[in-house]
Amino acid sequence: MIVDAHLHVDDIPALGWKMEAELCVRRLDEAGIDRGVVMTIVDAPEVNPHAIELVAEACAAYPDRLWAFARIHPWYGDESLALLERAFALGFKGLKLHPVSTIAHPSGEDTLRLIRAAAAHSAPTLFHCGDEPLATPLAIAAAAEACPEATIVLGHMGGYFHVDEAIEVAERFGNLVLETSAMPYPAKIREAVERLGPERVIYGSDGPVCSPRIEVEKVRLAGLEPEAERLVLGENALRILEAVR
Amino acid sequence: MIVDSLTFLGESLFGPRATAVDLLAVLDDLGVERAVVCPMKPRGYHLGPANDLVAEAVRAHPDRLVGFARVDPNLGDEACAELERALGELGLRGLFLHPWEETFRISAPFVDPVVEVARAHGVPVIVAAGYPWLSEGLQVGDLARRFPDIAFVATNGGQINISGLGQTDVELALAASPNLAVQTAGVYREDFLENVVARFGGGRLLYASAFPYLEPRLEILRARWMHVDEEARARILGRNARALLGA
Repeated sequence: MIVDAHLHVDDIPALGWKMEAELCVRRLDEAGIDRGVVMTIVDAPEVNPHAIELVAEACAAYPDRLWAFARIHPWYGDESLALLERAFALGFKGLKLHPVSTIAHPSGEDTLRLIRAAAAHSAPTLFHCGDEPLATPLAIAAAAEACPEATIVLGHMGGYFHVDEAIEVAERFGNLVLETSAMPYPAKIREAVERLGPERVIYGSDGPVCSPRIEVEKVRLAGLEPEAERLVLGENALRILEAVR
Repeated sequence: MIVDSLTFLGESLFGPRATAVDLLAVLDDLGVERAVVCPMKPRGYHLGPANDLVAEAVRAHPDRLVGFARVDPNLGDEACAELERALGELGLRGLFLHPWEETFRISAPFVDPVVEVARAHGVPVIVAAGYPWLSEGLQVGDLARRFPDIAFVATNGGQINISGLGQTDVELALAASPNLAVQTAGVYREDFLENVVARFGGGRLLYASAFPYLEPRLEILRARWMHVDEEARARILGRNARALLGA
């Protein structure tokens, strides 16, 4: 089974970005992917107070194909926490944080509180992890160190210039998992598997605007052993998501 | 005909290395007929020997490789003289500038003299683009606006940003400068590439692998699997490079 751990649904007229569940599923079909995890581009409660409902409706339309992650803005204290709990009550499988869009440092108390709340449901927190301040592997590693009980996923595994750093911090903190989306170096997926073991790397595409078909092929170009490739392409994500309660 | 509009030869100060034999094997494997080859920044720091190495490869494989010269605008007259040598004596066919590895702002006035040499020879300019502070989309666009009669090609879709935050600047640069095109290598978001085609037509995008820095077997999929019509795909995969870069 192939699971895409990173897809988006949203409708943002200001950016001209519209990503519908139907397009996500079409792109999954093109790539032979069984299931995907979807999340919004913006956060609840700001700038979209209805972001949780938007994702819930997308998943309800494709219950056998899509799982939901809740993208929450950490600044809103108890309101943020209540939104996350409501998302889990709706069957969501994890938390997504994008520190560049929220200007909330991964190690800030508001953020740690959300990560710990997700971990209480055995749910992962997926971070945007790239080359910008607030989202570098070392910044997110501070959250991993503060929340050893939480599974924290480094989406994009460091982007373009922080991939080696992402692998290094994942060696340091066993609760970090690397996610492959849009990072352009297949050889670094192989290196991550060799250094971290095949259980701590998961496939994601950042689709539908990044191509799930190309992103799956990128993992195959890493030249992993068949068992490791199965783990990375789906079984690891499945194991993490099935543990959520 | 498929043309890879950006590859590198030599031994980089930063690790990657490739010979003409390595490159031709990759091209053959992917069914790519021709490639633009640029020098790497060599371990000895001096770009002259790197230009010699590219010229030697082109002389050995004139039907497959088109060579570009690399100079460091920080060196002023010395850079202009080296570019004159490379475009004249060595027979190279374009200018490659790498603001990140040579450390200069592409829109700085002291870059203009080497671009003037390129203009005098009627050759195009490839800019290693998307690097923060030094070759952002609008900075490359600023140079392209000052030299409207030169063809500029920005690598990496003009942006290296996994948040997509640089995309609007690149589209503004493309809108302002019809003489600017972008390459596909390493681009974040396939819809950015598809939007370039939808908004600016099929003539502003060129397939590039950036071998050996990036993996050509992955990079060519961005062009082959892009959701565009076959006419646009043919232009992206080869015709644009032949028209803009003489490849």
